[in-house]
Amino acid sequence: MSAEDIIKDYQDILRQYNILNQISKTVASTLDLNKILKIILTGVTLGDGFGFNRAFLFLIDRHSKNLKGRMAIGPSSADDAWKVWSEIQDKNYSLEEFLDSERFENEQQLSFLDEKIRNISIPVDINMVIWKCLEDGIPRNIDISSTVPGGENEATINSVKEIEPAVLFGEVKAPAQDNLIQVININDAALIDAELAEYMDYPKFCIIPLISRTKKVGILIVDNKYNQREITPDDIKFLLLLGQFAASSIRNTIIYNDLKDSISALSKLNMKLNYLKDYNEKIIESIPVSIIVVDHNFTVTQCNENCGKLIGFEKETFIGKQINAHEIFIDGVSLIDEIFKVIRENKAEGFYKVNMKINGEKTDEIFDIILVPFRFSEESPEGAVIIIENVTNTVRLETELGNAKKLSQLGKLSATVAHEIRNPLIAIGGYAARVKRKFLEGEQTDIGNLEIIIEEVKRLERIVNEILDFAASREIKFSHVNISNLLLECINFAKAAAEQNNIDIVFECGSELVENANLHVFGSRDHLKQALLNILNNAIDASSKRDKIRICITTDGKDSYYDFPGSGHGGQESFSSIFSGCRTEGEPECIIIYVNNSASLSNREDIKNIFLPFYTTKTKGTGLGLTITKKIIEQHSGAIEVCSSIENGTTFAIKLPLLDI
Amino acid sequence: MKKILVVEDDMPIRNLYKEELIDEGYDVVTAPDGAIGYELYKSSRPDLITIDIKMPNMNGLELLDKIRKEDREIPIIIYSAYGEFTQNFSTWAADEYLVKSSDLTEFKNKVKELLFR
Repeated sequence: MSAEDIIKDYQDILRQYNILNQISKTVASTLDLNKILKIILTGVTLGDGFGFNRAFLFLIDRHSKNLKGRMAIGPSSADDAWKVWSEIQDKNYSLEEFLDSERFENEQQLSFLDEKIRNISIPVDINMVIWKCLEDGIPRNIDISSTVPGGENEATINSVKEIEPAVLFGEVKAPAQDNLIQVININDAALIDAELAEYMDYPKFCIIPLISRTKKVGILIVDNKYNQREITPDDIKFLLLLGQFAASSIRNTIIYNDLKDSISALSKLNMKLNYLKDYNEKIIESIPVSIIVVDHNFTVTQCNENCGKLIGFEKETFIGKQINAHEIFIDGVSLIDEIFKVIRENKAEGFYKVNMKINGEKTDEIFDIILVPFRFSEESPEGAVIIIENVTNTVRLETELGNAKKLSQLGKLSATVAHEIRNPLIAIGGYAARVKRKFLEGEQTDIGNLEIIIEEVKRLERIVNEILDFAASREIKFSHVNISNLLLECINFAKAAAEQNNIDIVFECGSELVENANLHVFGSRDHLKQALLNILNNAIDASSKRDKIRICITTDGKDSYYDFPGSGHGGQESFSSIFSGCRTEGEPECIIIYVNNSASLSNREDIKNIFLPFYTTKTKGTGLGLTITKKIIEQHSGAIEVCSSIENGTTFAIKLPLLDI
Repeated sequence: MKKILVVEDDMPIRNLYKEELIDEGYDVVTAPDGAIGYELYKSSRPDLITIDIKMPNMNGLELLDKIRKEDREIPIIIYSAYGEFTQNFSTWAADEYLVKSSDLTEFKNKVKELLFR
């Protein structure tokens, strides 16, 4: 080799290192993956650079693991090629100048190849040369112009000039030993993926693996379709250097971008967390209750501003403070004792309408307090949440409402009383005037007229008694009452009244309980008598002539009054609460008295309101009878219910707990 | 002799009205509710009717309405313990509306006035 040849070779090498240097400098200035890919491909194809006609880049898709076409640079026809190169040469750009130029940034002309490559996806197939190349890291030089089946040559070791690549690129390690590189020549078309071969549309090209350390990144393919220059071992050696550099750059950029995405996602998440925290705090601050969270040592771990106001601490000073046993009392019991109980039993506890004593000072305010066991995480010991609501205003309003209700009842009472006493007063006044006139006229006094006056005065007395019963109840004295006996007495009394209107009172069931049994309740005989007579008299008042009033008395289960109206068998209407709790375990035995008459209450309102004071469906009466009856039954721990239907008429059911004698 | 029908559910008052009107020289028939009152109106052909408002079965206003549909001329006095019924225009179909009182002077005057107008 002549001295000139050697000098020319060295100049070539120098030029190519220069290109690598320029590419590396430009690549280092950006972190945009697309731009990096474009710089590399441009460097490979630019006349001033390696000068390959076309360059193609495939990257390994991280999801499908396929090799996917990513970018291609090169003219799509020979004419086109000529035009582009001459244009670049006219401008006399150096590579670095070109890479920095706007022309590079806006390069759109060569997009036909580029567009097409994006549709190519080469699935993993280790028999294909392209994947083998990635596997062993050895470049492949393809020539399938005259295809030879099984035409995969032994790796040819080509000696190259003594140049130490590591001097230029610290991290690049050529797979070749020292100054030797390996290339495998392929001339069997069957080893090339069909889709790729069709896309290349030229039988000679070189495949360079892009591997960063051990990580496979993709492949670079170059060819000289238009000037048909042979690809030399020197070309391959430089491409390999470029490939290693490109692989690291691409991989670094991908990692960088992933990291950037992760950081941005993290910061978004962080923002969201902060927002949620603020949001929750705002909610806790805005609700008008005091919330305190304590740990197992009764140290405050969280609270809201409201609670600060209540306890008399700033929120910030209160957090971290330990509540001691002498500090807060609920109706005389230390809050700490209650929290301790709640934590130990792991059961929420509520205290309603209570007073609180805080630091020895008792307030006039009234509170609802709820203690809930609370554990922040599995590891932390149990604490508690204390929710304190000031219900002073609510309680005051309730009291006012109660007073208003009483006043309205008083108003109703006055109106009802006025109307109800008017008729007897008119009769008394009218007859008194009549008796007086007859007397003055010298006629004989009509005893009948006087009797009416006396009867009407009695009627007035009854009305007044009812009102007194309702307004200020007579003192109630409890003793053992023989209910069998009392029922018999009341029924006989009612029978006498009923007979006048030809109304029959009959036993449907349970007559033996009245006649023979010796059942007792604990209560007031007088009051119970009043209640039972009220119900019986109501039934008589509601009945028409020749109607039947049916009575059923039972002390066990539901079966004995199977067909009784309203007993819940067959009829739509039924008693609900009367039965619940009767004859169930732990409950005392009960007596249930049913009184049925055939008239039905005309509307649901009547059924709903029947026990309300001053509510009446009759044309006479104060509307207090059933109110008083209900009050009496409830004073005896019993219950009373009514149900009514057109088919079955109206049935009252009274339940009373029996004494176990 | 003029015949008067008294429809009133309260027995003592019904009797009071009856006796007082007999003393005034009228023939008196009485009914304890609206339904019987209507039957008696049909059967006994009274010259004047007095009707209480609050009654079982058929109330006074229903009875008034029923009679007025058949006879627009017959004098009818409607009365009640409740003054507020004057607000109810159904009562306007009656010739007189009275609030019940133990002093029957006005009641008797109105009866006479309506019978001999």
